[in-house]
Amino acid sequence: MAILRQAAWLLWKDLLLELRRRESLLAMFFFGALLLFIFNFALDVERNKATEMAPGLLWLAVVFCGTLGLMQLFQPERENHCLEALLIAPIDRAAIFVSKACFNLLLMALVEVVVFPLYWVLFGVTAWDRLPLVFLYALLGTVGFSVLGTLFSALTLSARGREILLPLLILPLIVPVVLATIRGMDAILRNAEFAEALPWLNMLIAFDVIFVTAGILVFDWVVES
Amino acid sequence: MHLEIRRLSKAYGTAWALRDIDLQLRSGECVALLGPNGAGKTTLLKTLAGLIRPTSGEIFIEGAKRSGETARRARIGILAPGDHLYEQLTAAENLQLFLALYGGTKHGAIDDALAHVGLTDWAREYVGAFSSGMKCRLSIAKWQLLDPGLLLVDEPYGVLDGNGVDLLEEYLAKVCRGGGLVVLATHDVARAAALCSRAVILKRGRVVFDEPKRASWETFFSAVGEFAPRGEAWPS
Repeated sequence: MAILRQAAWLLWKDLLLELRRRESLLAMFFFGALLLFIFNFALDVERNKATEMAPGLLWLAVVFCGTLGLMQLFQPERENHCLEALLIAPIDRAAIFVSKACFNLLLMALVEVVVFPLYWVLFGVTAWDRLPLVFLYALLGTVGFSVLGTLFSALTLSARGREILLPLLILPLIVPVVLATIRGMDAILRNAEFAEALPWLNMLIAFDVIFVTAGILVFDWVVES
Repeated sequence: MHLEIRRLSKAYGTAWALRDIDLQLRSGECVALLGPNGAGKTTLLKTLAGLIRPTSGEIFIEGAKRSGETARRARIGILAPGDHLYEQLTAAENLQLFLALYGGTKHGAIDDALAHVGLTDWAREYVGAFSSGMKCRLSIAKWQLLDPGLLLVDEPYGVLDGNGVDLLEEYLAKVCRGGGLVVLATHDVARAAALCSRAVILKRGRVVFDEPKRASWETFFSAVGEFAPRGEAWPS
């Protein structure tokens, strides 16, 4: 599949650049950890309440960190008009979309791997056995966030005040994904029957499939515009 | 590579950058695109590359109306000094990336291309550390590797040293000899007149002169006279 090979090369390029620039990942890690520390000091949550509040607080941190990452997502392409070089290349433009979405997903997943256990430690949550399932829901939510965020990050590339515009556009549209993720994580953390968490899992998968398909179909139009 | 432009116009708000451009560019031609600042040269190049959507008019590549897809299949290259290179990738990595995206697998070709433009010792250095001239040389190496059918060149002379200019002109001549088409936008009228087989002069977005080389030097000199630098050395 040519598109996957092209996306793999573009992803290689983005990972190499991130390794050298260290702009997005460090900022996201720092911001995510900082938010949890602030929540910890400001809210003074009891242990049993901390488990209840985990999905909401964690996703607040994830969404903020993710938005921070999205702001930087096309920065290498903004420098030296590199996006033009990709647009005239004989590649499927969906490959650019797939590589950018995967790159953002990877960064957010790495942040989650650090931030989620940090919450468990800081707030004294004892349900360590449920962490993998919580992480699964978060990952599915992150796919939706990354895909939609990549699309809007491209859409606002040449917009004035994109730092303000980007979150304003993404956050309302991402609400269904955020709600499904939070409700799913909540069901897992309450140790409810898996049947209670399953509809949210299905909903997340459906959102992800729709967003990925729509993103691949409309990305060409988005960058042409 | 045959390119036909029909009544092409581009407006930015109420300002017209291009107005009713009609041109036929044929395989093997090296076309000098001249004109004062704001004439629409860069806009025309970017429209030909499919990076700017025209307000009206059509472009046909090899007889087919240009869509984004046909333009990409035609392998259009833009050589703009300093542009289209990732600064935090090395020279070799930049070439490797674009060669892969263009589907190339020429073994050892990257080293050869870098050697040809005199950048062998800089192959593992980040492009961000390069001077403008070195970036331009790297762009020449890049397009030598990618072998475009249509090469659009935007004002390359300002950053290149004498040897670099020779490299560039040798390369552009080679593209034309190989059946490619070169459109060279520049303010260096003397060099363009010496290198190119045809001159197109734009003023305020309109074509005011379009002649093959030496067909009508008097008209050409009078057309470029307004924006050519004083003391320009004209080719004999």
